[in-house]
Amino acid sequence: MRKIVLISLMLGFVNLSKAQEHVFFTGFFPEFAATKSLKNGQKLNFKVENQEIIFRNLDEESERWQFRHYRTDLMSFYSWSLSPVSSVAGGIFYRFQDGANAFRVVQQFALLDRNRTFRIAHRFRTDQTFTDGEATEFRLRYRLAVDIPLQGEDLDPGEYYLVLSNEPIFSLQGGDFDIENRLVTTIGKLISKQQKLEYSIDYRTDGFFRDGFRTRLWAKIGYFVNF
Amino acid sequence: MNPILRIVLFGLFTLGLNQVSFAQKKIEQEKGVKKKDVPSAAVDWLNDAFEGKKKVKWYEEFSNEGRAYEGKFWWEKRFHSVKFDTLGAIVDVEIEIPFEELDESIRASIRDYLQSEFEDYKINRLQIQYSGESDDLEDFFDEDENEGIVIRYELEYTGKLKGEISKFWEGLFDHSGIFISQQEVEVRIMDNLIF
Repeated sequence: MRKIVLISLMLGFVNLSKAQEHVFFTGFFPEFAATKSLKNGQKLNFKVENQEIIFRNLDEESERWQFRHYRTDLMSFYSWSLSPVSSVAGGIFYRFQDGANAFRVVQQFALLDRNRTFRIAHRFRTDQTFTDGEATEFRLRYRLAVDIPLQGEDLDPGEYYLVLSNEPIFSLQGGDFDIENRLVTTIGKLISKQQKLEYSIDYRTDGFFRDGFRTRLWAKIGYFVNF
Repeated sequence: MNPILRIVLFGLFTLGLNQVSFAQKKIEQEKGVKKKDVPSAAVDWLNDAFEGKKKVKWYEEFSNEGRAYEGKFWWEKRFHSVKFDTLGAIVDVEIEIPFEELDESIRASIRDYLQSEFEDYKINRLQIQYSGESDDLEDFFDEDENEGIVIRYELEYTGKLKGEISKFWEGLFDHSGIFISQQEVEVRIMDNLIF
């Protein structure tokens, strides 16, 4: 496990010095998620993510600074609890993107390690993405997240927490293999037992094995609500 | 409208329909405090009972039993939590130990209870709890005298009741492992970590 994390961290930083030659863009990334608890630990989750580009280095100089819609993703998951700390889920996803709308199905297993003060969450996902005119993309993802309360041993309403996560994503599409990495630092606030507000910096790198190494840096704001 | 968008919007709508009812659960809230904000009697008691170098983290705790102060620290390779009332009088001392360190008869008694109550269970964490008069507790820790000391075991476990999913529980057992009480422990929402 440690090796995977280490490798993915390294992948995240490699080539940073050459960033000028590569595609780089940054922007604003609001997200909203609502989760409804159902009987016997089952949950229904709905999430919207929106990505707006503010700067893109390969655009014409006069157009580099912009405010342009990049993507809106809608997704919904149904999850079944296996124990108080583990679950399996299935999800559907639809992406609105200029000329690249896509549909995706997702399967996931998640496991939480509870420590006295912090929590470690492991998320394993496989997904299949269908885009018009393209071969189906198959991906395997593993996200490791550490959740640390910043005030006291336990997180209570009104208190802040820190989440550090990293997720390597292995992709196969029409015989081409690629890796993407997502490194995220989050400061969150537990507003009440049912609501969280999170501010994150999300650093994504991909194109390691394809033409056009790409980095994307997102300023995220997320609101999570539970019913 | 795109059919998928329609499905998703319907999903969002149904999410908002009902309210969930909450059962009686353990309520405990704590926040870190500075040593100077802790009653001096509590700080003095801790230093007398556990003489020596230690790094104590202090917390103010609010629970369904009222307000209290807690000092948490490592002592002789074990994690200790010492609880005081708001005047600084000692309430109890809890020390985390491996379940296997309990006498076989105590372990058997606890297991008997868990087997009778749950279809399936798993023990996660055990704390041995010492309570009694302030002087008796101090003598117990610095002079090994156990007069007037009440020993109990606080156990955290996952347990699956018939027809339900597995849940987290915190149970209290007496010095011989006889069950006293238990309550469900709420796991903080983790949807941001898994979705």
